[in-house]
Amino acid sequence: MLVSKHWLQKFFETPLPESEALGAAITFHAFEIDGINSKDGDDIFDIKITPNRGHDCLSHRGIAKEVSAILKIPLAHDPLSETPVLAPVTDKIKVTIEDADFCPRYIAGYIKGVSVGPSPEWLRRNLESLGQRSINNIVDATNFVMFNIGQPVHAFDAAKLAQKDGSYSIAVRAARAGEKMMALDNKEYAFTEAMSVIADAYADVAVGIAGIKGGMPAGVTESTKDIIIEVANFAGVPVRRTAAALKLRTDASARYEQVLAPTLASFGMHLVAELIQKIAGGEVVGFVDMYPAPQKEMQVSVSLEKINNVLGTSLTGAEASDVFMRLGFAYKEEGDVFDVIVPSERLDITIAEDLIEEVVRIIGYDKISETMLPPLDVVPAINASFNATEHAREDLMARGYSEVYTSVFAEAGERAVLNKVDSVLPFMRTTLVDGLTEALKKNMPNKDLLGLKEIKLFEIGYVWKDGKETLMLGTVSEKEAVKEYVLEVMAADSYEVLPLSTATNYKPFSKYPYMVRDIAMWVPASTDAQVVMEQIAKEVGELLQKISLFDRFEKGEKISLAYRLIFQSFDRTLTEVEVNEIMAKIAETLKAKGFEIR
Amino acid sequence: METPLRGHMHPISSLIREANSIFSKMGFTFASGPLLESEWYNFDALNVPKDHPARDMQDTFFIKDEKEAVLRTHTSPVQVRFMEAALKAGIQPPYRVIVPGKVFRNEATDMTHEAEFFQIEGLVVGPDVTLAHLKGTLSHFFQELFNGSVEIRFRPSFFPFTEPSVEVDMRLTSPDAPEKLRGKWIEMMGAGMIHPNVLKNAGLDPAKYQGFAFGMGLDRLALLRWGIDDVRYMHSGDLRFINQF
Repeated sequence: MLVSKHWLQKFFETPLPESEALGAAITFHAFEIDGINSKDGDDIFDIKITPNRGHDCLSHRGIAKEVSAILKIPLAHDPLSETPVLAPVTDKIKVTIEDADFCPRYIAGYIKGVSVGPSPEWLRRNLESLGQRSINNIVDATNFVMFNIGQPVHAFDAAKLAQKDGSYSIAVRAARAGEKMMALDNKEYAFTEAMSVIADAYADVAVGIAGIKGGMPAGVTESTKDIIIEVANFAGVPVRRTAAALKLRTDASARYEQVLAPTLASFGMHLVAELIQKIAGGEVVGFVDMYPAPQKEMQVSVSLEKINNVLGTSLTGAEASDVFMRLGFAYKEEGDVFDVIVPSERLDITIAEDLIEEVVRIIGYDKISETMLPPLDVVPAINASFNATEHAREDLMARGYSEVYTSVFAEAGERAVLNKVDSVLPFMRTTLVDGLTEALKKNMPNKDLLGLKEIKLFEIGYVWKDGKETLMLGTVSEKEAVKEYVLEVMAADSYEVLPLSTATNYKPFSKYPYMVRDIAMWVPASTDAQVVMEQIAKEVGELLQKISLFDRFEKGEKISLAYRLIFQSFDRTLTEVEVNEIMAKIAETLKAKGFEIR
Repeated sequence: METPLRGHMHPISSLIREANSIFSKMGFTFASGPLLESEWYNFDALNVPKDHPARDMQDTFFIKDEKEAVLRTHTSPVQVRFMEAALKAGIQPPYRVIVPGKVFRNEATDMTHEAEFFQIEGLVVGPDVTLAHLKGTLSHFFQELFNGSVEIRFRPSFFPFTEPSVEVDMRLTSPDAPEKLRGKWIEMMGAGMIHPNVLKNAGLDPAKYQGFAFGMGLDRLALLRWGIDDVRYMHSGDLRFINQF
């Protein structure tokens, strides 16, 4: 989520630290930060809100609250501090909720006589800093409240809704099969019965996709005078499914998907009504609040002993209570037990371990020491299957086989993968044969490059055959066909100490073809073959992939040396001509030393 | 007859061998479980709710005509499998387990992502296993693996199966560490204290036992350890890659 530092600062009287320090505070106590970008004198933080904190932290207020707790600086004002009273109540709007599980709360607010126009500078800047487009003062006010406290808000043009006896009727209901609506993005959406809409009940037409997007039929325009504001609570799962099915994920749906506290709605309505009156005028006629089952207060207890037992710390009661205070949690301390009343928007806190996490992340994970586990009095059991793979591996490597892993996905098999992205190799393999055959074929042309006389491969891996998952061992080489058999377990009292790879650094290899050339010569008996090899290597330079002395014999006073050179480039296919030229140059250099090229 | 040149071990096999040797000295048992898993062990038992986005079609491979069957998306299902089996055999905690093995994600492959890759899981359960033990254990593991001075640090994170949850970063500080890595914090894995629901689902009483768990990508570890530039070599069967190890 994008967070403007300028916007965040408005929650505090004390100046926030430099962005880098602020970023570090958030990273080590709350959330990972994907980046900080400077934009028009502001710093925009891209914060990765974890799925457990979508309830409260997809908002500037949520982040401000975190920063306040982490840095121990008080919020100058918290928009969620006191539950607002929404008055007066109006009978001009009727609200019907078909399924209270889908819509636990729906508040409608009726404001008459607003002047739709451009937003004030501060509001435009705030929205634009998050990459949002300013539309008009009404729409901007609804978006501002959403980015400020995380509660989506929507405004309808009242004049576009049907009226009966001077009143309006809004229904939150399941869409009808085949029902369609033009949304505010100028696209028509067709619904299924699994989706929910906001309907103008008198006209029986959809005017919004519940929790996702408003509809054109009741959209606010330049000429709008009277508005009905919707601040509602919708269930996360159905909103997510509908948004996914319609391929219409919005800032509102992204918040509902995370599940919001129903208590948040009244704060949202209070804030948006106040803001609209300030920047667009108008007069509040009244509110309707359908809230059949008010959210219950959550109380969670944890003892200091448990906190320290889980964390391996020796925190004092004062240190734990300091954290709860900084987070704004109301609590009672009895004995060493903290009874915490969780703020209603913090739906993530339901068990003692959640409180322990709050304590440790606020005091900082750097306060956790590194403690070794005590020795165990039992010897760990030996895994007979792993033991068998290790023995097989050693045996095969000693016989010159190298280990490959090939894909478990295959062209054919007994069990098919339902949803392969690329639809290639849609089955689980029933054999190692195909993978090993393919690997052998692939490696054959590289024999000289690898300096091998013969390619020999093995794989230890699972196959899915006869309704079972079985661990198999397969081998293949140039001279023998593929063999595979079930790897039987091998019990033991202990693991053998076996060698590890001694590689220190991987060297990238070229994807271009290589060329092989041999050169043989007579040299005086006193000549060092290694020195000759180095001279040749120096002459070739970076195109030499490998050089080896493959033959050496003595005849009287002379020695015959034969070298094999492998040429390869990292960025192109070499030509015969250029390799022959290099070979000619090498021959000349060697001749100049008095060697006789054979 | 001439003795053939010794063949080469796959780098992942070498890492698993090494990890097992380090962890077995700390009392850890090597455990394994099926790759073709049930949704229960892969998700539900690990406190991942039915409607969690990770359970959507995008990330998980499902099996045709087999309800509830998935290719495991992590090695964590073996946590509950191991604890259940131990209890069935009458073995109460302490448990110390590592689970190296293959896992799957249904995503497009590129230089750093593969649909099949390897993870190592760790699980420690006992009456008094703490977050400090997690830090000590991982710190020791990395010091052994990277043969020198290593610092680790935790950052807050979220996983449904741990509470508290952390990301673990590592930094190599010895002067002989590879230059590309020296002094830089690198994200290594997710970890945390086992969520009480996971213990409950395995049949343990969370009032009596607690513990930690961690899960780390072995391919990524191999990439870092040896400076490998493309994760797709792991399953390439290409000896130009494998014979370097």
